[in-house]
Amino acid sequence: MNVFIRWVGIAPLLMISLAWAQTDTAPDVDEIVHRANHVAYFLGKDGRAQVQMLITDNQGRKRQRSFTILRRDDSDSESIDDRGYLGEQKLYVYFHRPSDVNKMVFLVHKKTDTDDDRWLYLPALDLVKRIAASDKRTSFVGSDYFYEDVSGRSVDADDHELLKTTDNYYVLRHTPKDPASVEFSYYDMYVHKESFIPVQIEFYDTNGDKYRVARALKVETVQGYPTVTEASMENLKTGGVTRMRYSQVSYDIGLPEEIFTERFLRAPPVNYLR
Amino acid sequence: MATKMLADRAVYFALNHPKSVARVMVWITLVLALVAVVPSFVDLPYLKPVTVDTDPENMLSREEPVRLFHDHNKDVFALSDIIVVGVVNEEHPQGVFNPDSLRRIYDLTEYAKTLTWPSAVDPDRQEGVVEVDMIAPSTVDNIEQGGPGTVNFSWLMATPPATEEAAIAIRERAQNIPFLNGTLVSEDGKAIALYLPITSKTLSYRISTALRDYVSDWDGADQVFITGLPVAEDTFGVEMFIQMAISAPLAMLTIFLLLWWFFKKLVLVVSPMIVAMVSSIVTMALLVISGNTIHIMSSMIPIFVMPIAVLDAIHILSEFFDRYPVHKDRRKTLQEVMHALFAPMLFTTLTTMAGFASLALTPIPPVQVFGVFVAIGVFTAWLLTILFIPAFVMLIPESKLEGYGHVGSEGEQDHTLLGRFLQAIGRGSTRRPGWVLALTLLLCGVSAYGITLIRINDNPTKWFDERHEIRIADRVLNEHFGGTYMAYLSLIPAAVDEKFEMETVLSELESRRKSAVQSGLSSGVYAQFEESVRSLAQRDVSQSDALEHLTGQVEEAMAEAGGDDYFAWDDLLLLLDGIRQRQEVFKQPETLIWMDALQNHLLANGHVGKINSLVDVVKTVHRELLLGSAEAFRIPDSSNAIGQTLITYQNSHRPQDLWHFVTPDYRHANLWLQLTSGDNQDMEAVIADLDRFLADNPAPYGIDAEWFGLTYINVVWQDKMVTGMLTSFLGSFAVVLLMMVVLFRSVLAGVLSMIPLTITVGLIYGIIGLIGKDYDMPVAILSALSLGLAVDYAIHFLARSKEAVARNGSWKAAIPHVFGEPARAITRNAIVLGAGFLPLLAAPLVPYQTVGVFIAAIILSAGLATLILMPALIQLVQKWLFANVEGERQ
Repeated sequence: MNVFIRWVGIAPLLMISLAWAQTDTAPDVDEIVHRANHVAYFLGKDGRAQVQMLITDNQGRKRQRSFTILRRDDSDSESIDDRGYLGEQKLYVYFHRPSDVNKMVFLVHKKTDTDDDRWLYLPALDLVKRIAASDKRTSFVGSDYFYEDVSGRSVDADDHELLKTTDNYYVLRHTPKDPASVEFSYYDMYVHKESFIPVQIEFYDTNGDKYRVARALKVETVQGYPTVTEASMENLKTGGVTRMRYSQVSYDIGLPEEIFTERFLRAPPVNYLR
Repeated sequence: MATKMLADRAVYFALNHPKSVARVMVWITLVLALVAVVPSFVDLPYLKPVTVDTDPENMLSREEPVRLFHDHNKDVFALSDIIVVGVVNEEHPQGVFNPDSLRRIYDLTEYAKTLTWPSAVDPDRQEGVVEVDMIAPSTVDNIEQGGPGTVNFSWLMATPPATEEAAIAIRERAQNIPFLNGTLVSEDGKAIALYLPITSKTLSYRISTALRDYVSDWDGADQVFITGLPVAEDTFGVEMFIQMAISAPLAMLTIFLLLWWFFKKLVLVVSPMIVAMVSSIVTMALLVISGNTIHIMSSMIPIFVMPIAVLDAIHILSEFFDRYPVHKDRRKTLQEVMHALFAPMLFTTLTTMAGFASLALTPIPPVQVFGVFVAIGVFTAWLLTILFIPAFVMLIPESKLEGYGHVGSEGEQDHTLLGRFLQAIGRGSTRRPGWVLALTLLLCGVSAYGITLIRINDNPTKWFDERHEIRIADRVLNEHFGGTYMAYLSLIPAAVDEKFEMETVLSELESRRKSAVQSGLSSGVYAQFEESVRSLAQRDVSQSDALEHLTGQVEEAMAEAGGDDYFAWDDLLLLLDGIRQRQEVFKQPETLIWMDALQNHLLANGHVGKINSLVDVVKTVHRELLLGSAEAFRIPDSSNAIGQTLITYQNSHRPQDLWHFVTPDYRHANLWLQLTSGDNQDMEAVIADLDRFLADNPAPYGIDAEWFGLTYINVVWQDKMVTGMLTSFLGSFAVVLLMMVVLFRSVLAGVLSMIPLTITVGLIYGIIGLIGKDYDMPVAILSALSLGLAVDYAIHFLARSKEAVARNGSWKAAIPHVFGEPARAITRNAIVLGAGFLPLLAAPLVPYQTVGVFIAAIILSAGLATLILMPALIQLVQKWLFANVEGERQ
């Protein structure tokens, strides 16, 4: 599941997946899940993108957000087989617009075993706030995306099953291990067979009604790798939809670890933001 | 005399062809009833099924500005009508804040979420409870300190608590959030209220019934109360129809029994009943066929048509009862009776019709329909009375009438109690006219004083009897919570269409260009932008159009640009956005500080229990950002700080809640007021309070404040009702007076006939003022009824007096005759009708009780005024009044 960080960057992976498509042997469920997770959140050592977010409510009223997102993985490995690609991850989200949130920063240290650390820097109040990690399924800055859609949901949080294999997709169903901690009862994911990009994710509520849909709308090749450059999240209950456009995408730019610290909240790393 | 001839011919026709008259009546009634009812079951061209409309909002036309404004703002702020479900526990020391009660409340919330159905109009859309906007412990966010330096958004009650301590912690958290304290959690901490927004208030009854069924097996300690204007209004609609089916027949039965007692012959007494029934059926059938909905007002049509329909028939029966023993021949008796009564009956009918038809002048559509159709019903009743009653009597074999009639026969020899009593009244009032007059003037004085005390007020919840569960729920919940009556205040800054400020843009551009060049961006993009700005300034564009145009241009350029140019364009977008944000009035500290003052002013008014707005959101989040300290519960100092507070709020589970209070462009805000009373006078007090505040505290940015919400709409239609009723009453008063002058061909007699009516209306409204009964919707309608009924007795009395004077030579000689049969007819009439409507008192709906009491009071008062005051006045003015009568005789 996800949206944010789909800048794909590893050529061998693509070739492996192509090979699979040719031999037509469906990988097992865990394999698909981890490949999709890898493609969605963990490709490359680091990455950067400029994001234009357009939030449209059910009355057609629009709001915009514009921000830069920086990502850095702790792990140097890209290996799926030994799950070597997993590991801690750091995100730095710097807001440009609307102008009243200019210079606002959202910093995340994604952990593997414990709750994530999140900070929010509010320049107008000159305030750095830790955000308690009790619930990741709250809105991300008023959009239809949840914080968890942005940072990635842990693969271990759900049970997975392969519902079916179509010409182009593996259709997976994910059921939460702790249903009380989430608002959905399960979600279905359409994973592209060749690229392992999750192209569509559908969330179902306790009545079995579909109420949230994430889509990948556009994939471009960046630095030789396929990258989702347009994505959307629709909330069928509120009638709201959020669309994100990624531009200026680049990978493996050598982001230093130190910029993902509290110190850089007040003094943004201007050089790395563009 | 033309009318007399017409009368005689009509009566002769009925007497000669009784069977045809009866047959035609039955057929017309059946056909109309079928045409009205069948389209509800089968689709027919041009005909509509019976439609029921129980929405008091429809008292105002759909195009009424206040309704358009209300609907528009409901859309803008995504507001729904709200059902309030209160759960109170008086037994547990912590109220409902114990694991068992909270588990039930959690389950009830989950159940309420399922109360949606595919819409009947559009199966793709769901209707029912709006889940995303529900306010319940498990659906709202808690914002609080999550430890040092952290802020925490979490569901207030993600799952039901397991321990007493956890249950109490939920209360403490909720009470710390102004938005929830007094709204979700009662201030005494004992009760919880769920707010269920619904897609249409016409679903209120269905949803509240489902909720009541769901909680029916809860044990005694947790009591559930359901209220809110939508529930009151929709439930009233449902119960109204049940009442129609009980009250109207009960009234008919009472009238029937009294008539039977007065006139002995069952077979004769049936005829007025038939007239009443047929008139009601025909009227309602015509109402439906003409495509009108059955509304709260029009459902009362039968209740009004029935007494008026039997009125004339009672005069005929009474007269027939008294004269039959003289002739012992029904045909001859009828001819005589109808001849004597035709003119007064025609005129009483016309005046009654005028009274009701005048309601068509009010600006309230359902009242117009009501007035016009009651007038049609009255006319139908008259037609039936002069044709069907004689025909019906002719169909009774003469043998069955044997020994029928009044013992005393011709008036003056009446020795029954009633007869002697009436004679005494006649003698008394004509001998001491001065005393009567003085007493009347005294009454007028008291009435006038009473009228000054009238309190104009209404409240649909109070249409239910005190013991009704909605009234109980209303009382309990408004004691515990901020209030179950919703009103909203829309705030919009004055539309300013200022000219494009090129200089501002250019000067900001200059400073940005400098710092951009310093940080290594090229100045080419900035130069290109400057050119666009200058060329745009050549044209006559407004600031907002210019900003939009420039933003579009920059976005296009940015999409094409790569590398550093991308960031230069991005920098320019920030510049434009900064200028645009100065138009975001509701992010400016001065605006929010003013709103805060406005709220505090309104809260000082005892009727406003709670106000929720952007102000509370900003203050609460600001406080939690700053370590939860009480001093931080304030509006931040800059618009950027407000913007950042608001974006923090939007990191919650329900960011869309913000858009109930402000539009995303921050140029239109909304205050949600919870009132503890739905009384119009209380809403009016709040309105007046706001006006005072606005006068003393001019709004920044020329902000215009306007009310909407159901509680406010009720005030608007009440205003229209009161002024509308007054003009329509004055109008019909003038018309009736003119008719009287024409009928009696004398200004004096015309004026005289209006006196009992005037006294009655004055007295009724005087009493309403004195006893402190609110002047509400039913009371307003009654003025039309009193006009129609009260003048009738005077017409009969004056017409018969003139006749008696003509026959007996002088007023003095005529008095015993007048207080014979005519006085008896009036008295019987008054007793039958007055008593006939008392069963309405048993109804659990207050408007029915009001109508019952006041019809009885109007009839009694009009009867007394006619029998006591009229003779006294005639005594005083007889010289002028009977001048031509006696002249004619000579």
